[in-house]
Amino acid sequence: MISSPISAKNLCVLRGDNQVLDNVSFTIDAGDIFALLGGNGAGKSTTLLTFLGLISPSSGQALINGVEVGADIQGARAQISYLPESANLYPHLSAYENLEYFLSLAHISRSPEEISLSLDEVKLAPEARKKPLSSYSKGMRQKVSISLAILRRSPLLLLDEPTSGLDPLAIDEFNIILKTLSNLGTTIFMVTHDVYGACEVAKRVGLLRQGKMTSMFQAREDQKISVDEVHQAFRQSQAS
Amino acid sequence: MRLGDIYFIAKDEWRYWFRSRLSLSAIIAASLLLVASLINTTHQVQTESATREGFQQEAVKTFESQPARHPHRMIHYGHYIFRTPTPLSVIDLGVDASAGTVMFLEGHRQNSTVFPPNYSNAYAGQLADLSPAFAYQMLVPLLLIILGYASISRERELGTEIVLYSIAVTPMRLWLGKTLALGASAVITLTPLVVGLSFAVSEGEPVWTAAYMFLGYATYLLTWVFIITATSAVCQRSASAFTTLLGIWIVLCVISAPLASSIAETGKSYEGKVASDIAVQQALRGTGDGHNEADIAFNQLRAELLRQYEVKSVESLPFNIRGIISLNAEETQTKILNRFSDQRMEQAKAQTQVIYWLGLLSPTLALKNFSVNIAGTSLSEYQRFQRQAERVRFDFVQKLNTMHAEQLTYDDDIKRSIDPLSEQRTRIDSHHWKILYATSHHENFEVARISESFPHFLALIFWCFFAAIMAANVAKKGDKNVA
Repeated sequence: MISSPISAKNLCVLRGDNQVLDNVSFTIDAGDIFALLGGNGAGKSTTLLTFLGLISPSSGQALINGVEVGADIQGARAQISYLPESANLYPHLSAYENLEYFLSLAHISRSPEEISLSLDEVKLAPEARKKPLSSYSKGMRQKVSISLAILRRSPLLLLDEPTSGLDPLAIDEFNIILKTLSNLGTTIFMVTHDVYGACEVAKRVGLLRQGKMTSMFQAREDQKISVDEVHQAFRQSQAS
Repeated sequence: MRLGDIYFIAKDEWRYWFRSRLSLSAIIAASLLLVASLINTTHQVQTESATREGFQQEAVKTFESQPARHPHRMIHYGHYIFRTPTPLSVIDLGVDASAGTVMFLEGHRQNSTVFPPNYSNAYAGQLADLSPAFAYQMLVPLLLIILGYASISRERELGTEIVLYSIAVTPMRLWLGKTLALGASAVITLTPLVVGLSFAVSEGEPVWTAAYMFLGYATYLLTWVFIITATSAVCQRSASAFTTLLGIWIVLCVISAPLASSIAETGKSYEGKVASDIAVQQALRGTGDGHNEADIAFNQLRAELLRQYEVKSVESLPFNIRGIISLNAEETQTKILNRFSDQRMEQAKAQTQVIYWLGLLSPTLALKNFSVNIAGTSLSEYQRFQRQAERVRFDFVQKLNTMHAEQLTYDDDIKRSIDPLSEQRTRIDSHHWKILYATSHHENFEVARISESFPHFLALIFWCFFAAIMAANVAKKGDKNVA
């Protein structure tokens, strides 16, 4: 039996007296995009960080390819590309230098041409590539982060609020990149509170409220998930 | 362990420093300061050394070129002995600036060291000693703090720490990389020290003592590297890391030394020179006046000599009794003077011992103690100089007293103030004044310096291990602090 690239089984996280995650379960199939929606403090980022092994579950399991993250944290991390909300990169380095640095630490060898090609794929303007990231917009930094994920060729991509702070055009560009990666077989797990963006790209959307998975939506064959449906459920979950 | 990661992280840290104006300014300022301190101290020590050696030779020449005289006049003419700086003084001046460098040696007295007439009047306290020791003990840790306070906390603030962990960089490797970067900069700051030590070796310092001194300073800076990276790893914000490190620096570098002095002064009393001198005078009162052979204090000695030589009067003795009385009086007085001197030295040493023990509470204090001991500029070395000066004094005074006893007749001696011929005969030729033995003070004291500095070296090693273990423990939990 082939294990799902990412799955959560009755995942619970307790921080102090606060139950941050309460019996959260889901699976993401290979090449799918799964979006976890929720308001502030719903436990979205905690779920992501649990898969990175940065938070230990109090009970339940976070599994990467069927192996519990806690059993082999470095093994799990080696398969994941993680994009934090604010596209965290080094502001004193250029796009090239950032990519070279992170790739060298990940022990991945890529030629300058391959790096340029990946920056072409994310449509980062060539004249910006040698400038320090301190002069970049968030959208540009996000592109560099995506470029890193492309270069790493990680089978799993974890995204934390990837479109927050991006302008509509940048969001469109970003969504196209995600779909392309998904089509190439990358399994994508994103947490967001952008209902429209989630429905635009995701094959499945989960709704999280106060640490509990309240609803799950699945795109039908060749159809996107209904924004209205999710939006209504989201509003109801927030109101209740 | 993937050593490549550590190297890449260290390399990137260096790249960051070179692109950050603050770090670059700090590196340039510290380098200039270190070089300036070395040039300043080397020039000062060289000048002092040449001056004191010149004065010493002059003093010997002046003593030996005195005309024919009564030997007791030569005892009171006296002689100067100069404390020449050790080669390692170019690194640490130690007590040199405050302990006096020249001593006047004469009969019946033990004088204090004083400063020669050319001594600088511009001295403005300890901070005025811009020596390499001061720079390494106080300022280089500050440079390392400026460079390294944000080494790990900056990654946390930028959010890059989480990205690093997500690409399988472990917290331990991140810490080791940052430690390597800061450690390498600490090693680079030691370049002026190596230059200074090489100069000391060229001036006669053994290579192994110079290497030992280098090890002590390297261990100290490494301790700071661990303290800095541990603090940076434990603090969530760079600002709080900087504030914490500044607090640690103030406690360890600024407050610990005066605090230790106060504790030592409070805990161990020191009589002081004036009180001691009064006590010495009281003790000397009963010993008799060595200039007066009729003093009742010497009745017993006189009677014994008459009995031993089976003569009725001192005039019949085969030597000049005045010389013998002087010899005897000098010996008795010197024993008393030495007793009080040893007592004062022990009291001073007891205070220093308190400071030595307090070195376990501060690596800066441990390094200060280590440095002055190995450089030969410690209180112990100063006391060795005092003891050696006393040996020189006693030796030449007693040689003159012996001449007084053996080469002058008692008859001439008692008549010399009334009979010009007798006065002439009590003058002995100037070739007799070549009695001062070589007075180079720091002769073969390397072993003593090593053994005296070794406990402080152990304290430094203890601090270094303690800081390393603490830092490694903090660092390995780094990824648990991220979320």
